[in-house]
Amino acid sequence: MADRRRKNPWTRVLLYLFVFVLCIVILYPYFVMFTTAAKTREEMYALDMTILPKKWMWSNFVDVWSQAPILRYFLNSIIVAGGATGIAILCGIPAAYAMSRMQFKGKGIFLGAVIMSQMFAPVVLLMGIYRLMLDLHLTNNLLGLILLNAAFNQAFAIWLLRGTFLSISPEMEQAAKIDGCTTVGSLIRVLLPMAAPGIVTTLIFVFINAWNEYTMALTLISTDTLKPITVGLNVFNGFNMIQWQYMFATSIFATIPVIILFLCIEKHLAAGLTSGGVKG
Amino acid sequence: MKKFLAMLLALAMVFALAACGGSSAPAAEAPAAEEPAAEEPAADKLPLNVIISQYGNNTQAWWDGVFVPGFETAHPDIDLTVEIVSWNDLYTVVSNRITNENVPDILNIDTFADYVADDLLMPAEEYTSAELKAKIIPSFWNANELDGTVWALPILASVRSLFYNVDILEAAGVEVPTTWDEVKTACAAIQAYDPDITPWSLDVSSDEGQAAFGYYTWNNGGGFVDDNGDWALNSAANVEALNFIKEMVDAGYCFADPMNATRYPQQDAFNAGSLAMMIGPCNMISASSEVNYGVAPMPTNGGNSPVAFGVCDRLMAFKNDSAPDQAARTAAISAFFDYFYDQEVYSEYMVYEGFLPVTSDASAYLPEHADQFNKCEANGGTPGENDYFATWCGMLADCDFYPASRAEWIDVKQGVIDAEQQVLEGADAQAVLDELQSAIAG
Amino acid sequence: MKKQPVLKKAEPYLWLAPSVLLMLSMIVVPVITVFRLSVSDISRAGVIKGFAGLENFQAIFASSKFWHTLQNTLVWTVVVVGVSTLLGFIIAMVLNQKFTGRKIVRAIVVFPWATSLIIQSIVWKYIITADFGSLNVILRKLGIISQNINWTPNATAYFAWECWIGIFVTVPFVTFCVLSGLQSIDENYYEAAEIDGAGFWKKLGSITLPLLKPSLTVSTVLNIIYVFNSFPIIWTITKGDPADKTHTLATYLYKLAFTNGRMGQAAAVSVVGFVILCICAGIYMVLSLKAEKEGQ
Repeated sequence: MADRRRKNPWTRVLLYLFVFVLCIVILYPYFVMFTTAAKTREEMYALDMTILPKKWMWSNFVDVWSQAPILRYFLNSIIVAGGATGIAILCGIPAAYAMSRMQFKGKGIFLGAVIMSQMFAPVVLLMGIYRLMLDLHLTNNLLGLILLNAAFNQAFAIWLLRGTFLSISPEMEQAAKIDGCTTVGSLIRVLLPMAAPGIVTTLIFVFINAWNEYTMALTLISTDTLKPITVGLNVFNGFNMIQWQYMFATSIFATIPVIILFLCIEKHLAAGLTSGGVKG
Repeated sequence: MKKFLAMLLALAMVFALAACGGSSAPAAEAPAAEEPAAEEPAADKLPLNVIISQYGNNTQAWWDGVFVPGFETAHPDIDLTVEIVSWNDLYTVVSNRITNENVPDILNIDTFADYVADDLLMPAEEYTSAELKAKIIPSFWNANELDGTVWALPILASVRSLFYNVDILEAAGVEVPTTWDEVKTACAAIQAYDPDITPWSLDVSSDEGQAAFGYYTWNNGGGFVDDNGDWALNSAANVEALNFIKEMVDAGYCFADPMNATRYPQQDAFNAGSLAMMIGPCNMISASSEVNYGVAPMPTNGGNSPVAFGVCDRLMAFKNDSAPDQAARTAAISAFFDYFYDQEVYSEYMVYEGFLPVTSDASAYLPEHADQFNKCEANGGTPGENDYFATWCGMLADCDFYPASRAEWIDVKQGVIDAEQQVLEGADAQAVLDELQSAIAG
Repeated sequence: MKKQPVLKKAEPYLWLAPSVLLMLSMIVVPVITVFRLSVSDISRAGVIKGFAGLENFQAIFASSKFWHTLQNTLVWTVVVVGVSTLLGFIIAMVLNQKFTGRKIVRAIVVFPWATSLIIQSIVWKYIITADFGSLNVILRKLGIISQNINWTPNATAYFAWECWIGIFVTVPFVTFCVLSGLQSIDENYYEAAEIDGAGFWKKLGSITLPLLKPSLTVSTVLNIIYVFNSFPIIWTITKGDPADKTHTLATYLYKLAFTNGRMGQAAAVSVVGFVILCICAGIYMVLSLKAEKEGQ
């Protein structure tokens, strides 16, 4: 590709122009979030509105923590997302292993069923989910959210892990088995270390999905101290006023950790996503 | 790599454990569930599960910090759980719980007819003590009657009236409008004075579009029902009112987006001085607002006299056939209400949220003693104002309210919002209202 | 290996068991409940009164709003997935070039994906508000417009904005799928083609696209499912208003169930949604099987 660049300088200009516009468009909402979070409540509806705050209210970013139990919301989000990730991976690894290393009847059906399970969005099943959680005594309980998030991310976890496993040659494990390793042993000692990048990608991916989940938490959790951050945001959307500045300040705090996690796996992200399909 | 897996497993366990530990509040596990709630920590305490709607940013703080500790000190035998649910989610939460036979003991919401139709509610007489009944203002008590039985208690009220920005009206050289024609003249003058100022406010969003229907139809001699109490949604006065709404929007006198902009940002705009006039609730002026405002009666049309607009939400108690001791449960519910409507407790909550009391003792008490209590933090945290309650409590007596006790009310509420939106989108008001009337009244 | 043959045969299923158990209990059970609710007579307050046969389905099919919603859902899915795929493809092609700052740009492209939908929707709602919105303020300050523009004059405009936000949040996923595909293409193919005198379009059509097919298929299939069922964007921006003209099936059934008190009909809408997706899935399976056979 390097030589193509030399051929036409205009392509370069166009490329930079495109990239510039792209970045502006993507960053614009974040710019709005940030500047609005630093405004006073009155300024948001004032007559002479400005792009940047007239007075930077850095205190908003501090006050927000005392305005509502934000820390508690964060903790709940971490518990739900962390727990769901753990369960999704622990169930997903054996399934993905079977799907990538074994031949058995119904393998195609199972893969189809995994994809099918993605068709049922939580919002569509809300009534059924509530009933189930009630029968299990898990409404208003973080464990319920953990199990649900793990289940709704199961398909993705299997998909990603299977892709990773398929991209690793089974020869090493066979060698280990000949050396007397059990199947479980070869999985743990040989395959998992090699698949570590893919596993980390899956971990983070499921974590992010669970972190961002909204509808189930909204319906199932009613006690304030059990709300995850996505639902907790509503506290600033009260009966009598919307506190945009606090809402956006909290949004920023809720978004930053996810973006950092995403950047950690950015390199592996795409590779993991498609290898399942390529080798499928 | 065993370590890796072991760590993963340990991590998952920690999270699962933390989750169980964190969910120690068994709030939703009401005794209505099939199995007896064996894990209830204090078996000898009677659980009482209450849902309160979120009236402001600090609603949670008052109930958790003031009411529940106070109540449990007074009634150590009752295990009170109060859940605060935002109005955005209230209907979702409640209907999910009813479908799954997991109703709260006491619910705070705006309507009750649907629950009566399914025989879910206890008649109010069963749990209202004689003293409490005596002090609830009779018009509010009667407003919760359906088929000859009272099914709910009023929790609080608010009054809507016309708020105007004195400085803007003065600068534009107009008087406070009293008729619709004067409203249009005033709006035109304000727009000419400063095009950046929005003259008039309108909210026909699904959030509260039924309120706008009330403001304009009632003050044009129409309304939801006729003099006999029958639904009369397609009256000539109502058609005229919807056309007036459309005229105001088309002339550019309102915010660009009345079908989606709820009342709250419009209140903020009024408080910030970028909106000149607004029909809004008594507690809409924020603590930090520097606007020089006045309050006037609703503008009317066709020589009708102004009708003030009252809003009242309700508290109701659900039946629970699986409760082991019905008498004890009813007693606990009574205890809750007696404690809540206690003059001091109730007055404190009214000042805190800025709403108006529905009991006679608090109505008499607050105009002189509101300054003994503090408003919530979002309202400034300052002492209450006696004048505020003196003015607005006086207006409360002459207000009209939604016909919210009727079985068809939810459909009517959705229907008039839909009608308003259709008219703004260009449909014919008469045709839209005729269709609604025939859908509701058959 | 001295395992008994039965155990050996059962082994793969044992490996699948935890995963299957999790999905059966948490997904399939609610699905069954929803199907049951769709043929139940449920009162306004939410009490199940009994069996209703197909009444709920008849009721929704008789409503013009349902058909409008169905049409919206189709437009929503096709537009959002279609435009996102095209944009994502272009962006991936650009990001696959070597240029200064590429790493930063790639990181920025991740942002919309990493932000929760509910937060993005709230921000965009704030941006496009005509009277206090940030877009008008910026354009006015930059001198591009002199008066506030009403970005959302009618239902169609609203729906267009919702589609735009849908595209905004979907593009990164497509971009990264395509990027991974692009990176796995051997540079030698291009060099060979260039020696044969192939231009940009020729290379795109005969090398890039065919080799990207698996990546594009994955992203498109998943996106169709996600976008079809998407809820937070439309619910935050319009709740389906004005006059129920901007609903998709997901928001329509939510409003039916929890605002209008018609749970039975809402469940029926859910079932219709499943059926539509299942038909799509069926078509996809048939097509991919056919392609597989042709490939062999």
